[in-house]
Amino acid sequence: MTGNRWGRIQYLGEKLLILIVSLLILSAAVFYISRLAPGDPLVSYYGDRVEKMSLTEREWAEDRLGLNEPLAVQYACWLENALRGDFGISYKYKLPVVTVIRERIGNTLLLGGIGFVLIFVLALLLGIACACHEGRLLDSVICGIGTVSSCIPEFWVSLLLVLVFSVNLKWLPGSGAHTAGQTGDLGDRVRHLILPLTAVVLGHLWYYAYMVRNRILEEVGADYVLLAKAKGLTRGRVLFRHCLQNVLPSYLSIMAISAPHILGGTYIIEMVFSYPGLGTLTYESARYHDYNLLMILCMLTGIIVMLCDLAVQMVCKRGTEKGAWP
Amino acid sequence: MAELLEVQNLSVSFETPKGEVQAVRDVSFTLHTGEVLAVVGESGSGKSALCKAVMKLLPASGRIRAGGIYINGTDISRFGERKMHKLRGKLFSMVFQDPMTSLNPTMTIGAQIAEAVRIHDPKITRRQLHDRVVELMQLVEIDRAQERMHLYPHHFSGGMRQRCVMAIALAGNPTILFADEPTTALDVTIQAQILGLFRKIQQDLGMATVFVTHDLNVAAEAADRVAVMYAGKIVEIGTTEEIFRDPRHPYTWGLLRSLPVYGRGQETLYTIPGLPPALLHPPKGDAFACRNPYALAIDYEEEPPLFRVSDTHYAATWLLDERAPKITPPVRKTTDLPLYGRSVRKEQEILLDVQHLTHVFPLDKKTTFKAVDDVSFQIKRGEIFGLIGESGSGKSTVARLIMNLYRPNDGMAAAGKRQFHGQDTQGRSRLHSAGRILYRGIDITDPALFRQYKKMLQTTRQIIFQDSNSSLNQRMKVWDIITEPLRIQHIVPPRGSLRAEAKFQMHYVGLDEAYLNRYPTELSGGQRQRVAIARALSMEPELLVADEPVASLDVSIQAQIVNLFRHLQQEHGFSFLFIAHDLAMVEFLCDRVGVMYQGKLVETGETRELFANPRHPYTKALLSAMPKSGSRFGEMLA
Amino acid sequence: MAVRMENGFKIVGIRTLPREEQVRPRGRWDKGSGRVFTGAVLVLTTIILGCFLCELFVARDPGYLDLRNYCVLPGREFLFGTDTMGRDIFAMIWYGGRISLTIGIAATMLSTILGVVFGALSGCAPAWADALMMRLVEILLSIPSLMAVILIQAILGEANVFSISFVLGITGWMSIAKVVRSEVRQIRECEYVIASRCMGGGFFHILWKHLTPNFVSSIMFMVVMNIRSAIVAESTLSFMGIGLPVEVITWGSMLSLSEDAMLANAWWIILFPGAFLVVALLCFTGLGNHLRRNFNRGQSNL
Repeated sequence: MTGNRWGRIQYLGEKLLILIVSLLILSAAVFYISRLAPGDPLVSYYGDRVEKMSLTEREWAEDRLGLNEPLAVQYACWLENALRGDFGISYKYKLPVVTVIRERIGNTLLLGGIGFVLIFVLALLLGIACACHEGRLLDSVICGIGTVSSCIPEFWVSLLLVLVFSVNLKWLPGSGAHTAGQTGDLGDRVRHLILPLTAVVLGHLWYYAYMVRNRILEEVGADYVLLAKAKGLTRGRVLFRHCLQNVLPSYLSIMAISAPHILGGTYIIEMVFSYPGLGTLTYESARYHDYNLLMILCMLTGIIVMLCDLAVQMVCKRGTEKGAWP
Repeated sequence: MAELLEVQNLSVSFETPKGEVQAVRDVSFTLHTGEVLAVVGESGSGKSALCKAVMKLLPASGRIRAGGIYINGTDISRFGERKMHKLRGKLFSMVFQDPMTSLNPTMTIGAQIAEAVRIHDPKITRRQLHDRVVELMQLVEIDRAQERMHLYPHHFSGGMRQRCVMAIALAGNPTILFADEPTTALDVTIQAQILGLFRKIQQDLGMATVFVTHDLNVAAEAADRVAVMYAGKIVEIGTTEEIFRDPRHPYTWGLLRSLPVYGRGQETLYTIPGLPPALLHPPKGDAFACRNPYALAIDYEEEPPLFRVSDTHYAATWLLDERAPKITPPVRKTTDLPLYGRSVRKEQEILLDVQHLTHVFPLDKKTTFKAVDDVSFQIKRGEIFGLIGESGSGKSTVARLIMNLYRPNDGMAAAGKRQFHGQDTQGRSRLHSAGRILYRGIDITDPALFRQYKKMLQTTRQIIFQDSNSSLNQRMKVWDIITEPLRIQHIVPPRGSLRAEAKFQMHYVGLDEAYLNRYPTELSGGQRQRVAIARALSMEPELLVADEPVASLDVSIQAQIVNLFRHLQQEHGFSFLFIAHDLAMVEFLCDRVGVMYQGKLVETGETRELFANPRHPYTKALLSAMPKSGSRFGEMLA
Repeated sequence: MAVRMENGFKIVGIRTLPREEQVRPRGRWDKGSGRVFTGAVLVLTTIILGCFLCELFVARDPGYLDLRNYCVLPGREFLFGTDTMGRDIFAMIWYGGRISLTIGIAATMLSTILGVVFGALSGCAPAWADALMMRLVEILLSIPSLMAVILIQAILGEANVFSISFVLGITGWMSIAKVVRSEVRQIRECEYVIASRCMGGGFFHILWKHLTPNFVSSIMFMVVMNIRSAIVAESTLSFMGIGLPVEVITWGSMLSLSEDAMLANAWWIILFPGAFLVVALLCFTGLGNHLRRNFNRGQSNL
């Protein structure tokens, strides 16, 4: 038993090491690449004033922001500060990037997280419903609606939702995370979430539901289903006890890989709904060369991607041990 | 008194993209308490669909079109799913053909058996459940049941899995057990074990059994009564004695005659001509007429009813009508005739000399698996050498080594060592071989020599695989496949054009020219195997290696292909390495035989000699699994 | 009848029956799917032809800013109305589609080439290299594509048709690579390839005769779907304002005016270009699904 625990600690240590190394490589890559881009980072800090600056003023400004050192030194500098928890200041907001992000990350995680859970559950339910009624009316109707909805770009769905429910019907607010001055009001918060959430769910739901449907149908065609039925199990029991249990591990792993995508998908929706999240921030930082902000956003995405990947590997490992994937 | 199971005029059909296939047509039979009924037929004869229809386990596209299924007098053919799942497991249960796929891979064996127990006895306590599972596992002779119930199916071999499936089927103490080809997917020696177990359990528990099989031998061993099915109909039904001693239907004659045992003393095995009809549009009249040498004119017009031979024996053929001419059944009883064998040529030159061949597959970083262990044998020119062994005994690896399919790594071998390292075809792992294979005196394990004689080796050695489905590219037409080697080697077709060459080869292996532009998916298994043979022969090989070429075919088709091999070998005079697990075919076809067991070649010898006096215990076990005069089947034939 | 029956009891032996006309398996051309497929092809052909030959039937200049007629409701003069800058939406849709489709196709060509090359290399590579390459693909796949596109686009600077196609191409090849790789692995183990090798078939013979025909059919679905997602990505980028500049008319850049449109409550500015976009995407999906339809799956046993 102890050997097993030791092995597990070793395994985790190994993964952690890989995670750290990958993050280092990622940060270096993003650091260099972002500086390769044409454009003037001073613009985002000083705005239009840059054009009126004299050469000496420019040099002084670049010196102040540490932009005239060699790239390697700049990176070392950034790394040293980052390890101490100081990720620098945002050129645009003139605030420490951590502060800028802290205000918004909650919003994005709320939208993405609830969206993810909703997609996860609804896709499973829809997939099962379709698989049970394969080839019949319910299946074709859901498949038809699903195919159409999967073809609509997320931003256009969002536009339509705003147009219909906010502009014309005036049922729900079409922008922001809450009405000005009502930060603590939960009901207000929820009402602001409904439209963006709908857009997030509609954009991804069908892809996963269809996948669940097909995986179940594959499973249901297997021989062991016949044996399970021959021993007297009811259809429902065969479906839930046998088929679904065999589908779930692969579904879990695919959903884990997809988490960054669903989170990334919220970015564009945030823009349409002027929802104060990371989406708008990412876009601005890339466009206006807000290096420090860009770095931390990339690192955050990287961490999420790698954590999800780690989760997938864990699921797969357990599956192999149990013999699901021999 | 009502019978336990009575099927009346049952018809089952399947929806397919091409149309409605009538898999079971107007079948009636009865099953008494405690008896074993064997249903015999080729694949596609509807025997499996019949069982699944009775248990209502047909897939969504299949349905019962007409007829009744009476259990103790109650018709269950209209029962819904709600009533059926209460009957399944308790009243009847089923064992399926392929034990590798019929268990849920993610549940332990114990859990799967326990589930079957609990479904019929929900109030059972944990302790009792555990005991019952162990009891069931012991019943099917799985030892160390306490530990093994916690293992997953992938820890077990095929035979053990089939035992687990049986334990599950027996969990509800069923009155009727359906066994759908339960031994087909297993090795010969395991087949005998499982069959023995079936009979023992059947006698102990006294349940009625419907035993579906394509193997007459198995039917004779296991059954009280036999029903022969052809093209969705029962053509003859009777007690086992009656069917084997006094068969009345021409199809039963044909089946019996095509057994290799009846081929003793003959140059070719008897085969039923033609192919079974497609059940999409069943032919008018008797479906068997167009393959029946004794067909009457009326057979092409009207379907024969079941004629009564005795109280228990019925056959559906017009030959039993009083107006029909009387025919003596052509089934000859010739078990004691000497086996047909050619005089072994002694002076012949040795074509292939395998010396101390060893081959190791690494399983992971530490463990390795010795697939071939110090194997030596020779094949002379014009000789047919048979290699027998169960699956995993290394016979296919030998074939692949002879064909240079495991690429040796240049460095090691060139350094003069006879060990070489390399990568297998999938590049998956490193592996090691030792030993020499001399072909025409050339050591083909030596990469330098191999490269030097590459062209000669590639043209004079050819291989035929087991699965004709995957050995032909489905996106190429038949003529394209047959002439592929000619195109690869840039050989000018000796008969003018490539198509003419393909036509010639097809004619040679008995394929209709009409198939020239067909794709492999449009052909039947036997036809595809003929295409594969034609492809190999188009190079006029000197050595033909056939890796289980008949294993995936039906009995009658197997006989056709084996006849073809014999015929072609006589015409061409090539040397032939025939790998099989079916002893009867090997006995009929081969001059000399080698027996492989766990990677070792345990015995070699001339066929007649080896079959008469086996020396190695494994060979003895193999041969004892074969029907011979001591067994019930042998008695029946005597 | 009775007389004929009497004659019937004479042995005639085997007669060859008239050979049944062999029905070729209809397989993928079954009815339901076929109808959707025909519809999709027809509509798509109309859209593509319309976009590339729009000079023939669109009289107005799509770039002309008719400042007197801004936000005009759809009517006889302006079939689909005008946008907030007074441009004719009907003309813009056809001209804009040209660029959207071009980007979609160009990006897909690039990603297909990359995917096939990478997948084939990985499929033929030794085990460790294959594992490494597939790991890379998986990591790349899990990066939110929008974020990657924004980053790369930022590096490339001012966007034009080529740079957008390039960015979308190099971020969209991974799924094709995965399919090609598994297909290559699978076919390599097939017995017909082994048989071909025994006969002396070289690498290129096997590649051309056996590998290509088999995986082309399986990646066609991915290719069609890639066109679809490239068009979506382009319109999303343009909508966000990081894609092509507003003066370049595409379906995406037309929609980037939606905020103004929303203020003016001019639904047609959002609805018409979007509807065209969605119809085109639906057609691509119909086409793709038709190519993918899997008939090998066994029947349900449940």
